[in-house]
Formats: sequence, structure tokens, C-alpha cells
Amino acid sequence: MSVKNRIASDCRPCMNLALVFVFGVLTHGHATRAQSVCLPSPRLLTTFPMGAQAGSEIEIALSGEYIEGASELRFSNSQIRAEKVLSAEGNEILGRYRVSIPKEVKPGLVEASVMTRLGLSSSRIFTVSSVQEMLQSKGNQTLTTAMPIELNSVCNATMTARSVDFYQFKAEGGQRILVDCAAKGIDSKLNPVVIVADADGQDLAVERRGGAIDFEVPEDGAYVIKVHDLTFKGGAHYFYRLNVAALGKDQQITRHAMTKKVHAFSWPPAGLSGSATTTEIEPNGGSTPQNITLPCDLMGRFAQAADTDVFEFNAEKGETWWVEVASERLGRPTDPIVIVEHVDLSGAEAVVTDLAELNDIPSPIKVSSNGYAYDGPPYNAGSSDVLGKFEVKESGIHRLRIADLFGGTRNDPANVYRLIVRKAKPDFALVAWGLHMQLRNGDRNALSKPIALRGGATMAIEVVAIRRDGFDGEIQLSMDNLPDGVESNGLTIPSGKSRGILLVTAKEGAPRGVSIASFTGSALVGEEKVSRRCHLASMAWPVPNHWSEVPSPRLLADVLVSVGGDEPAPISITAREDKVFEAMEGDKLTIPLIHMRRGEFSGAIMAAKTLGAGFERHQFDLPLDQDASDTVLDLAALKTPPGDYLIAFYGGAVAKYQHNPGGVARATEALKDAEAQLALTKAKAAKTKAALTDASAEEKSELQQTLAELTEKEKRDAVRVKAGTARVKTATSAAKAKDIVDIVVSEPIRIRVNPRETK
Amino acid sequence: MVRTDRRRNSPALSGILVLWISILMMCTGSVAHSADAEVEKISFVNDIVPVLTKAGCNAGVCHAKAGGGQNGFELSLLGFEPLEDYDHMVLEGRGRRLFPAAPDQSLLLRKISGRTPHRGGIVLPPESDGYRLLRRWIGEGTPLGETVAELKSLEVLPAHDRIEPGASRQLKAIAHYEDGTSRIVTDLALFESNDVGMATVTENGLVTASDLPGRVGVMVRYQGRVSVFNASIPLGAEAETPKSNNFIDDHVFANLGQIGIPASDVCDDSTFLRRVTLDIAGRLPTADESREFLADTSSQKRSVWIDRLLKSPSYADYFANKWTALLKNRRDDASDITSNFAFHAWVRDSLLTNVPYDQMVRELLAATGTVIANPAVAWYKRVKEPKQQMEDVAQLFLGVRMQCAQCHHHPFERWSQDDYYGLSAFFTRVGRKPTGVQGEDLIFHKRGLAEAKNTKTGAMISPAALGDVVGVIAPDEDPRLRLANWLSDPANPFFSKALVNRYWKHFFKRGLIEPEDDIRDTNPATNPELLSALEDHFLSSGFDLKELIRAITNSRAYQLRAVPTGGNMVDRQNYSRFYPRRLQAEVLLDAIDELTGATTNFANLPLGTRAIALPDNSYNKSSPFLRVFGRPESLSVCECERVQSASLAQSLHLMNASDLRSKLAVSGGMAQKLASSKSPLAERITGLYFSAFSRPPTEAELKVSLDFLLPTSVEGEKTEATPKVGKAEFEDLIWALINTKEFLFNH
Repeated sequence: MSVKNRIASDCRPCMNLALVFVFGVLTHGHATRAQSVCLPSPRLLTTFPMGAQAGSEIEIALSGEYIEGASELRFSNSQIRAEKVLSAEGNEILGRYRVSIPKEVKPGLVEASVMTRLGLSSSRIFTVSSVQEMLQSKGNQTLTTAMPIELNSVCNATMTARSVDFYQFKAEGGQRILVDCAAKGIDSKLNPVVIVADADGQDLAVERRGGAIDFEVPEDGAYVIKVHDLTFKGGAHYFYRLNVAALGKDQQITRHAMTKKVHAFSWPPAGLSGSATTTEIEPNGGSTPQNITLPCDLMGRFAQAADTDVFEFNAEKGETWWVEVASERLGRPTDPIVIVEHVDLSGAEAVVTDLAELNDIPSPIKVSSNGYAYDGPPYNAGSSDVLGKFEVKESGIHRLRIADLFGGTRNDPANVYRLIVRKAKPDFALVAWGLHMQLRNGDRNALSKPIALRGGATMAIEVVAIRRDGFDGEIQLSMDNLPDGVESNGLTIPSGKSRGILLVTAKEGAPRGVSIASFTGSALVGEEKVSRRCHLASMAWPVPNHWSEVPSPRLLADVLVSVGGDEPAPISITAREDKVFEAMEGDKLTIPLIHMRRGEFSGAIMAAKTLGAGFERHQFDLPLDQDASDTVLDLAALKTPPGDYLIAFYGGAVAKYQHNPGGVARATEALKDAEAQLALTKAKAAKTKAALTDASAEEKSELQQTLAELTEKEKRDAVRVKAGTARVKTATSAAKAKDIVDIVVSEPIRIRVNPRETK
Repeated sequence: MVRTDRRRNSPALSGILVLWISILMMCTGSVAHSADAEVEKISFVNDIVPVLTKAGCNAGVCHAKAGGGQNGFELSLLGFEPLEDYDHMVLEGRGRRLFPAAPDQSLLLRKISGRTPHRGGIVLPPESDGYRLLRRWIGEGTPLGETVAELKSLEVLPAHDRIEPGASRQLKAIAHYEDGTSRIVTDLALFESNDVGMATVTENGLVTASDLPGRVGVMVRYQGRVSVFNASIPLGAEAETPKSNNFIDDHVFANLGQIGIPASDVCDDSTFLRRVTLDIAGRLPTADESREFLADTSSQKRSVWIDRLLKSPSYADYFANKWTALLKNRRDDASDITSNFAFHAWVRDSLLTNVPYDQMVRELLAATGTVIANPAVAWYKRVKEPKQQMEDVAQLFLGVRMQCAQCHHHPFERWSQDDYYGLSAFFTRVGRKPTGVQGEDLIFHKRGLAEAKNTKTGAMISPAALGDVVGVIAPDEDPRLRLANWLSDPANPFFSKALVNRYWKHFFKRGLIEPEDDIRDTNPATNPELLSALEDHFLSSGFDLKELIRAITNSRAYQLRAVPTGGNMVDRQNYSRFYPRRLQAEVLLDAIDELTGATTNFANLPLGTRAIALPDNSYNKSSPFLRVFGRPESLSVCECERVQSASLAQSLHLMNASDLRSKLAVSGGMAQKLASSKSPLAERITGLYFSAFSRPPTEAELKVSLDFLLPTSVEGEKTEATPKVGKAEFEDLIWALINTKEFLFNH
């Protein structure tokens, strides 16, 4: 294990701890950026290879941040098992695991993560395939060193900066060959460019937009595939899986599996059948509209450039219909728009009147403007799809026109949409991510943090709701099936609002553990209590400098909650008493707080804000150099109406953080062992060498063999000593106290505001 | 007419006129003017404004200067707004500019006659007709007068003629009015030669031809109307031409026959190979390619080679380099790299797969989505405003410069402000949403009625395509698609013409219309029949760019020698010989790399990336070579941004620059390979010549090279048997070849 410690320069007085633990894959030129804010979180960043065939057993190498001493590699599919790889001497080879994928595992994406002393790491996509898997050969960056690749196989590779990877395959004239490169959809930073060329490297077909090449082979022979990044970036984070497959003449193309983007959480509506009840029938343009009856559930496609599909139906005055379109949420790069018109045929000429123009599902909360300062999460819970309603003003013929605002010039039959027109069916969908706040300009690290808790820490999860068909009731948030010592408290999403908070707290001393939590929101819809899954989103990569890198958010497979158990939170803030704090409407309410400090802080105060509806305007300075404080809630100023509330305080505090001080002792001990082993080996070798001088001819042969083995072992031992020395150095450096700004959240506080009695 | 009537009925104006007339009645002399009943009544619009225009008073550098004219006196450019001019002259300045009681004392007349200091000098002496008319008009009380009829057209006679070198021809300008009347306006019209090197014209319309043969236009302007006189100036020699190979030759050689210019011979294979490879692929042929081509005895080998070049990625790289500069693929910020690379790649891939030109333009104009999903969107990152989008599209794809028409009627063209805003209205429904990348928007069609506001009149103008009606565009329809339909309509008078003219210039150095992006009635083509035939060919091929290049490069006209013959040295525009031109900056850098065996290292790109494949202008900063040799910064849609003229800096760079020296001396480079080669020295020199010039050295060249390289023996004899030539000597020889015109020019 090598530990690299960088201190990022910054104009602010606080220093930033940056620890990058890179296992095994140093040969891939790992160049992770420094983490500048937030206490260290374990992040699994790469696996190599990035996938394997079902029914196979492979060895994979991991790299990441703060995953030293990982005890276990886990997959979201529990059928996939992993065990550590040991050296010939029985020593653990850091960051290497042997992974078994049973035949029964269905091809697709799973997520891998490692259990560490800080909890379960963030996950990385791992693909299970049904075809032969290959590993990139070294040095395939020229035409002459192109790597041969078999048809119907996948090659796992990483891109070298300012280079082009070359592959070669053989095919027969007339054959259809699919060349598909998985990158963004499996968490890679690579923007892949894929080129099919002739044997001389002359380009024949190029794909730069993330699509696949359906290549018809012109004549028998060898062909070359070139792969590079759009801007020729490279390194271990720029990995890809190149799939080359022979296709039947009329075979549909099946692309590699991809992660879901955040907006996909709101599709499909609960209870929707897997397939639509009807389909679009062309031609259905303005002069030949397609007749439908409402309600309808229809599958169509924006097949031709500037395609507008028109549907005609009868509707009665006073009716209200809800329209929902999914296209972007089906993974297509589209922007549907729906226009609903009333057609009056009573006169000599038809008079068409717009009833509604429906376009985009707006984000329920402000999305980051991507400026340097943090002004909102860069997760867009909205979509370019459609969700809206129209009210029928006059009985009679109506038309619904649907078009793709991105489709003016392209012809792509893959751009499908599903159109649903229904009577109101109020409902909601939820998505959540780790709460971030302004800590340091440009930094977005908290957005990729796993829910890996230190004892005594509370993590706030920001929850956003998309409300369907006029539903505006309260939504209660809850998280169940948590590890031992962990509890959650949901701050209600108020009626008509779209944002809520869920707090996850690990009690001090909570043991190491992990569980797949059940994260839900529940509400009363009409008279029915409905419960909906809350999806969790995360950035695929830590973003220490937002200015230079655009985050790539995605939905996670599971809600994994863990406790490291090895390191406590620097501070816990709780109410002095575990009770409901009560006050009369308009009064002032004093909340006594306890600051359980387990370390030092830079700065005497934390500018604290408040989470929880009704109290969000409350701000105060929380002293970090004291063990207790009071905060006074002015209910008159806050205009908090009577009711029961759950709130929490939060802010950014700069902790003097020592990373894994115990690791220094362990590393020192390991180094001693290695040195002792080396000394022993050397001594044995010297003894053997001495014995050789007096040995008989028969003995000499055996002794020379022994000496050769000892010489080899000595080399290996020396490598261990060298690595151990480096680890001690790095661990010692990491263990020095450093200022790290982190988000501190109090445990939830219950409040009851009683109505003032009127005389 | 309507506007004139409205102004005539203005109460305020009437009041002032009455006041002046009253004053005139009381003053001496006024009765005489008033009594001059037989004289035709003066119209300010039809009589006074042309005098001012002819005198240059309302030129852009004088009182029509933007921002208030000169010294507070403002006139509209070339009198395009006569009613505003009337206000400026008569009503402003507290009436001090005109003095009806004593017209000669009017400030206006004192200034123009030089009696009061005037920065514009004496523009109308008192004895001139213009002065007398102005004096009379002032004396009559500065009436606005009646505009009897709107000017309909301007005719110049003769419209075209043949003028022997040194001979003159008098032009006559005739104004035709809506009411059917006509008037000779030669004295009031403005005359301007399109090429003063070929013909000059006096202010009274006397054209005199020079001794340069060819065609030249003389533009005639009067009251916002323009016309052109086309003169052909013959050389008068016997026009021998090669056998025609295609329709291009038919027209080029027919033109030469008419003017009497002989054509040079068809060039040899070496010259052709080098020329066409440089022009299509932006690179030198390799030594092996040259040898193979020269050894080929096939009669079709030139056509076969052209096809091979058109299939090569180098063709796409080279022409993408041309187009991306014109499309402003410019790096202003480090974060632009993704969009710039994507946009360049989109252009390059489209060219490689030979996407029809109209389709490429459609995809660009009507681009929607994100840069990654649709790289054409990146154009909208560079060109943000509808007016700028329109101006760029007009200049780049139509060859029409609309910029002037934003503020006033185009001085050389028929384009009005309504035409300007009508064309920009196509871009008014471009919607934008922010993306995760700073400064990069997602582009979509924003539903609604497309219209642009004429900032002068306040009127909302619907989309209109330079005089062509495109019909009503529904709010649901992206108007840019309607514009794209109009562009690709075979009847479009600009779209194909602009492209074939641009490509013609690429291969022949000079466009049939010059500048290539200034196509207008008053700037006629030097060979209109050829231009028309090229348009037809391009249209009938389905806007096939490769086919256009194929037709051009297969023509004998393209394959003529650059060496003059039979007096065609003076020809500058009839293509009687190949006009040599210096290699472009990128091509020259690649050629030097090729010849020296060096590699230029460009940031963020794989080692070995050629300069013609650079995606944007950012590399100019780190390459003095590219800057010195004029690589454009992608700031404008004008090809003129690329500097092709020679400079001292270029000469010094080639002779002495450190980067060139390091290329010559690069480890493992050409000089080292030649020095360590075991081949006979003559063979090595021959190989070098093939690399540089696509030909073997002549005997004389070989001798000079051997003399330079071979050591002289003690006896003063040179011996080739045991040559031991050092790397430095080969560096010098390569340096010498690089510094020849034959290397630096495509010829």
C-alpha cells in the first residue's frame, strides 16, 4: 500500500487533508485529485477488470481513497463472492481479490464496495457479462501493436493520456459487427471515441457520442478498432469495456448495460404496466392525426427529423386530464413537448385553440448554477420529459401534438417515448442525496460520500419529491433496516413542498456494521396510505474542484448504511434532554445543547443553520470551544405555527483531524516484521553460501538450488521492506493533525408549538 | 411616397415653411426666385439628396459617420433616409445651416464651397451645377417638394462591353421611376471600379481599361439603387488551350478564347501529384508515393490518385481545419476543450463520410441538444445572438454580407433593414438552458412566433429569406429548419454559388467572385458561365463536396503549369495558368516535420498529431511558427483572417528560428538517417528530393548537392566511393531545400 499525502494550497487558513490510497493498480497511472474538504470517507474508485463473465472466477485489483485495510469486498448481488488474494508466503496482497461469479448471476450491472475502518466505501460499477472477457494487452497504442480481439468478447481496458488504443479483429465481407464501448454508463470518466478502420488504420466509421457502431464489413479481412478519449485524457479513472460482437442480419442491437441518471427515479409511475396498450401508427402528422380515446397509454417514437405526432380525441367540457411522457427517463437524449389543442369545426374553417403547452418536469428545488460557490445541489430531479395537465374548456375534438425539441435534424428510430393521458392519480416519487453546503469554493466532495458513519455522527440526507397529478400532502420519511447503533429520523416534507431531510445518526460506540436499508416516504393519498421507495443518488466521483470537472450523478442500486466503528466523530451536538421541547406560539424557546467534543477545532464558533420546516430561518453561532450552549428559537420571528416538529442544527466546522493514528503503529509493526524477515532470509542465504564451499558435488547442486530460492526471497523481502517503509512514512504524515472542514449536524430535536389560548 | 406625403402634411413643417416664405417675400431677391415659374419644382428627395451623395457629404467617413456625423451635422448614409436628412439640414442647428434670405451666406454653402473652413475641403465650388441647385433650393425656401415618383431601378448603358487595353468608354446612368418616367442621372450617380488595377472610372462615368486582361465590373449607384457595367478587356493573343477534360475546362478555355489569352501547358506528373495532394489532403506526398505515381503508366492515374486522396482521413482533417476556423471553433477558456474537440470532430467526421453539404449546414443551423450528444450545438456557444448568427450564416453560407443593413440600407446591395431583421428572425426561437459546463447551453427550439424587431422602425419582422417568401411559420415549427429548407432549395441563388466559389478559390487561389464571401449583383463573377455550371454540377450531385473537388481537380484548368506562356503572365483572374501560393501555416509545419523527420508536440493531443488536424486555435499560442505564418484565431467567418502574405518574420523564421533548427537536428530525424545510411549518396539525395518536391533532382541539382556534401580530397578530387557525410551537412542540405520557393509554395 502506498499512501500519498498532498496538502492543497488554499487562501483560507485551514489546510486540507488529502489522502489517496492506491492499491495494486499503480501501473495504471492513478492520479486522483486531492480531497480538500470533509472528513475522510472511503471511496472505491476503480476495479480492474471492470467486469467478468458469469460462471467465471477472476482476480481483480482495486484502487480508491481511504480504503486501506479493507476487510471485505462486497457486491450488490450477494451471489458474487470475493476473497483476498494471498502471496506465496501467505501475505495479503493489498487491493487484490479473487472474485467468483456463479453461472446463475444474470448479466448486467452490480455495484462493488469495500468494508473499511471508516465504514463501507462508495460503490463502483461491476459488469457481469455472458461473453468471453479479455484484458487489454500492454502497449497497444500503435497500429502495429494492435491487440487482437475475438468477436463476441469484451476487452477491459484503461486509456492512456494522449493516446489511442488499437485493436484488431477479422471478419468476413457482409458480416454485421457491433462495436460498443461502455464507459460513462459504468462510472468511467472516459468520453469514448470509437473508430472502425481498415487494416491500414484509415477510418471507416466513427462514433463520438457514446453510441455503438453497427459496422457492415465491406470485404473479408482484418479491421482495426481505435479507441480514445474525446479530449485525449487518460489514466486509471478512464476505463472502458470494449464489446465486439457479430450480429445476425436482422438482429436488434443490445447495448451494454448502463447506470441510471438521477431523473430516472420518477419513472415509471406506481402500478404502470411494463408495456403500453397501444402504439403510434405513422403517418400521424398534422393532416392525418391518429385517433385515440382517453385515457391512453401509447408507445411512439421520434423516428424522423422534426417528427411531430398528432393524436385526435374527444373530450368533454370540465374534464381534467393529466399527461405524462417518458423519453429522456427511458435513456433517450430527447426533449419532448406536448401541445393540446381544441379544434372547433363548427365554422367553415377549423379553428384551433391552444389548451396547454407541456414541456419539462422542472426540478422541484434550485439546481446548482455550476458557479464556483455552492448554490444548490447539482442533481437535477427534474427532466426534459413531460408531466402536466389540461382542462377541457369546450366539448368536442381535441388534438395532442408531441414532438422532440432536440429532434429537428436527426433520424433515430431508437428515440422512443411513452405517452400516458390519464385521470388524476395523485402520487409522488422520491430521490435523495447527501446534504452538501458551502464549505470551500469549488469543492463538491460531500456529494459523493457514502453513508459511512463515525460513532456520534449525524449525516443529513436531502430528499426531493416529484409530486404527480396534484398530490400536495405531507410526506413522512423513514429509513429502516439499519445497522446496530444507527437510527434515522425523517424531517417531514410539508404539504405542498418538495424538499425534506432525513437524519441518520450513529450512536457513540456503535459497532462496525453494514446493512441494506429500506428508505421510504409515506403519505396519505386520499384515504389510502401509500409508501414509495426513495432512491439514493450520488456523484460517481469526488469532485474537489467543481470548476475543472463536471460531476456525473447517478442513481445507486442500494441504500447502504454502515458504521466504521474505528473512529468517532470530532463532535456530537445533542439537546441536553431527550424530550419534546414545548413552547407557546409566538414565544421564545430555549434549547440547551451539549457539545460532545472529541477533538480540537480551528475557530471558536460554528455558524449554525437549522433544518426542519418552520425553523429554517433560525441561525446562530454555536461555540466550538465550549461543552454546552443554548440557542433561543424566537417563534414569533419565525412565525412557526402550532404543531409537532423535528429539527436539527448544522454548519461547517474545521476540525483538527488525525487520520488513523493507530495505523502508524500497525505500519511500524509490519515494517519490523518485514525487516526481520529480510534479515532472516539474508542470514539463511549467507549460511547456505558458506556451506557451498565445503559441500560435495551432490550437495552443491541442492545447495545452489536453495541459494537461488533464498536470493529470490531476499528480493521479495526487500520489496516488502521498501513498501513497509513507505507505508510508515505515509501513515505518519497522515496521522499528523490537520484542519479539515466538515459538515456537522446535530441529532434531531423534537419541538411542540402549542396554540396560544384565545380569551 | 407615403412617407413623403406624411411629412409634407406635418403642421410643424408647414408652419416653418410658411414662416420662411413670408420672410422671403419681405427680402430682396426672393421674388425673383419665386417668380421663376417655368423652372421645374425642386424635390429634396429626388434633386437635393443626389447632389449631396455625389459630393460625398453623406459618405460614411463624412456626415454619415456613425454616432452623430461630423461636428454635430448628421446625414443618413448615402441619403437612404432623406426625410431625416431634411430635418437635419433644415430644422436642426437653430436653422443656421440654411439662410433662404441670402442663400450664399448659408453655412452649408459656405462650407461646401470652402468659404468657411471645412474639414472636408471644397466639395462643390460656386460655379458647379450642384452648388447652383442647392443655392436655388435654399433661395426658394428649402421646400421638401414633391417626390413625384419612387425610384424603381437604375440602368447603366452600356451594360457590358469590350474595351481594348488603354481605351475608354463613357457610361450613362438612367434612373427609372415607378410612374414609368426616366431621367439621365450620370452626373449625379456614383461610379466605382471593382478592380482599379484593371479599369478606372471618373466621377462622370468614363471608364478606362488598363492592360490587364479579363473582366471587370464598374458599380454605379444612385439613390439606393445599384447597377453594374461589365467590361471585358482582351489580351488579343492567340488563345491556345489544352484539350478539355470536363465542363470546367469548356468554360475556362472558352473564356480564354474570348479574351485572347493562351493557356500554359498541362503540368507534369510530379507537379500534379504534389499540388493535388497539398490541396486535397494538406500534406506532401511521401517519397514512396511519388515514386509509385511516376512509375505508373496508367492514363487514369491522376483521377485514381484524386479518388484515393478524397477517401483518406487527411482530406477530412484538412477541410475540417478550414471549416472549423470559419465556424469560430475558438478556445477562450480551458473548459472549452470538450466542445471544441467535439465540434471539430463532428465537422471532420461529416467530411470523411461525405455528408451532403446542405445536410451538414442543416445540422449546424438547426442544432439542438447538448454538445456531447450533438456537437453541432457548439456553434451556438460561440455565436450567441440571433443577429450574429444571421450575419455569420449569411456571410459564410450565402456569401452575403448583411452587417451594413442592420443600421441602414446596404450601400452596395438591395438589402434593407427589414431584410436584415427578416433573416435574423429565423434565429429568434433558439432556446437555451444552462448545462453543467460553464458558458455552455443546451439548445432547443423555443415554441412561439418567430419575429425580430426592426430597431429603426420598431416593426416586428417575420422570417424572410433575402426577398424570398418562406411562408407562415407556425409556433411549433423550428424556423431554422425552414431556413435550411430555403438554403437547400435548388432555386436558392446564393447557397450553392457561395460554396462552389469558396472551393474554387481553395484550388485556384482566386475566387470567381472576389472576395469569396461578397456575392452581390454589383460584384460580378469573372466567368459567370463557369460559376453557373459549377453550381449546376454541385446541385445535381446532391451537394456532394467530394464530387465538386473531383470535378475541379480532374480539370485540365487545374492541372495547368504555373509557368507563364505566350504573354499570360499578366493574367490574374482567367486561370490561364496555375497561380502559385504559399503553403498554409499548418501545411508548411507538417511538411517541414515530414521532411526533417521531426514531430511537433501539441498539448492534449497524441504525439504525431499533425498541425492540419488541430481542433482549435489554442495551439497558436504555443507555436510561434503557426502565428508567424498566419494561422487564423477563428474570430471571424472570413477566410481573410488567414494571413497568406509574406513577411520578413517568415523569412527569418525559416532561415534561423530555433524551432526549425531543432527540427533539422532532431535525434532520429531525416538528417541523422541520411548520414547513417549505407546507400549511395546520390540515392540519398534523390530520396530527399522526392520527399520535398515529389521528383528526382535534376543533374545540375544533384551535382550541386554532391559538391556540397562530398569532402574534397587532398588532390582536390571529389570521390563518391567512400562518402562519409556528417549529420550536420545533411541538416544544411535539408535547410536549403526548405528555403526554396519550390518547397514553400504549391505551384
